[in-house]
Amino acid sequence: MMFEFLNYSFMERAIVAGTLVAIITGIVGPFLVFRKMSFMGAGLSHGALAGIALGIILGLSPTLMSVLIVMGLGFLIGLVSRTGKISEDSAIGTVYTFFMALGIFLINLSKGYHINIMGYLFGDILAISKYDILFALIVLIVVLVWLILRGRAMLYLTFDEDFAKITGVPIGWDYYIFMVITSLSIITVVKLVGVVLAGSILIVPSASAKMLSKSFMKIIAISVISGIISIFSGIAFSYYLNTSSGPSIVFFVTAFFLCVLLWQFGSNTTSRKVKIKSPSSRP
Amino acid sequence: MDRYALILDSVSVRYGEKEAIANVSMKLEKGKLHVLMGPNGGGKTTLIRAIAGLVPFKGKIKIYGIESHEYLKRHSIGYLAQRGETVYDFPMTAIEVVEMGRYGTKESRKLRREKAMKFLEEVNMETYAHVPIGELSGGQQQRVLLARALATESKLMLLDEPLTGMDSRAQSRFYRMLNSLRARHALTILIASHDMGFTTAYAENIMCINKTMVSRECIAKLLAEPEIKELYGPNIHLVKHYHLPQEEDNDV
Repeated sequence: MMFEFLNYSFMERAIVAGTLVAIITGIVGPFLVFRKMSFMGAGLSHGALAGIALGIILGLSPTLMSVLIVMGLGFLIGLVSRTGKISEDSAIGTVYTFFMALGIFLINLSKGYHINIMGYLFGDILAISKYDILFALIVLIVVLVWLILRGRAMLYLTFDEDFAKITGVPIGWDYYIFMVITSLSIITVVKLVGVVLAGSILIVPSASAKMLSKSFMKIIAISVISGIISIFSGIAFSYYLNTSSGPSIVFFVTAFFLCVLLWQFGSNTTSRKVKIKSPSSRP
Repeated sequence: MDRYALILDSVSVRYGEKEAIANVSMKLEKGKLHVLMGPNGGGKTTLIRAIAGLVPFKGKIKIYGIESHEYLKRHSIGYLAQRGETVYDFPMTAIEVVEMGRYGTKESRKLRREKAMKFLEEVNMETYAHVPIGELSGGQQQRVLLARALATESKLMLLDEPLTGMDSRAQSRFYRMLNSLRARHALTILIASHDMGFTTAYAENIMCINKTMVSRECIAKLLAEPEIKELYGPNIHLVKHYHLPQEEDNDV
């Protein structure tokens, strides 16, 4: 049976969590892509490792600690870049490597604890619990409420920050709220594919969708659907070939991106040829 | 009633150690097309951005008699940024871009869309309403952004180098459109430009800036050569034209 892997409860949980993650990242990702903040996803997700390690050492919830660390990190990056001292990508590059190093350092110190470092780095679907699904569901509700209440303002802010400010969009507040939304989204992705690969799930489906549509709502829809298909395919692939789930999901997400890229390249070449052959373009 | 739409008193802007403009004072009469001229790096954009509340400044700026930061809390102003400052590869149609000007009005979506269409009609772009902004030509994009500025329903318009990337026909058409909009809506328009062609022909008031104000309230035809040399350097000669081109409106 093709979908026999769904008989296992851990696979069911992985599929449900994956679907929630695909919807969350499909909504948040396009804003990151169009704001040219793709690097932010990778940067913040690496920061989660420090939170996870700190949570384990202190005997607190690793999820809660990583939420706090990643949100703090996002706020710090936003503050540093918005005060204009250094650029956003420099701020991310500086801060996230430190938090990644801090995470590994803390894990090294915690010799008495059993920490599955590979699971945190590259994801472990066996480790997805009902609480992780509940957390992802809460984050999805938060993201949907944000999209309804602040989506239009965020779109305007993304398109033209100066004009948005002039028309009364509270750009500072909206920016920091978006950082919180991004941080929460990243924690849900980290659970599924790990710290190292989270940036891919957050950004690549949106980058693919950007090539396929010129309507922002359609880009969100394509991003969500392609994310769900890629995550489902990746989980099934990892089950049948006994491979790690995180890299398998990223493989499908990237394969979809490459297909779109090739299709775009092909259609652009065809349209160029048609243009050259058309009578109106002849001298 | 106050005859000035905008009053600047000793306005200075610094970017760190660098002084962008120093002690600029000017008064803009209501309902006129004013042009702020000067070389690149002379402080035109900085001054426009200070008036729009986009950069902090020292000194006083009053918009319709109210301190600018107080005025901007309650009202929008029409603003058209320099080309290149706006993302053109963006999934928004022309009408969606114009709707930005209606932000914060509490209108229904239907009414917002109707008003946005009305402003697109004002700039003869209604047939392009549902075309993505990135697929329009440079001149068409400028007209859409002008419609967005009009959609704020502000009587004050700040346009920063609006002619960039337009050929001379499109520039002439753009200015004629601005003049007609100014007359129809009683707009006060301030344009920052380094263009010495159509700008001088259509402006009612030209001010020259190069870090500080060189001259103010000078009429185009009286613009003296020494002032031009002070702005642009000694190797420049003034050529005056007395005939404005008369062309039919076509797509830019």
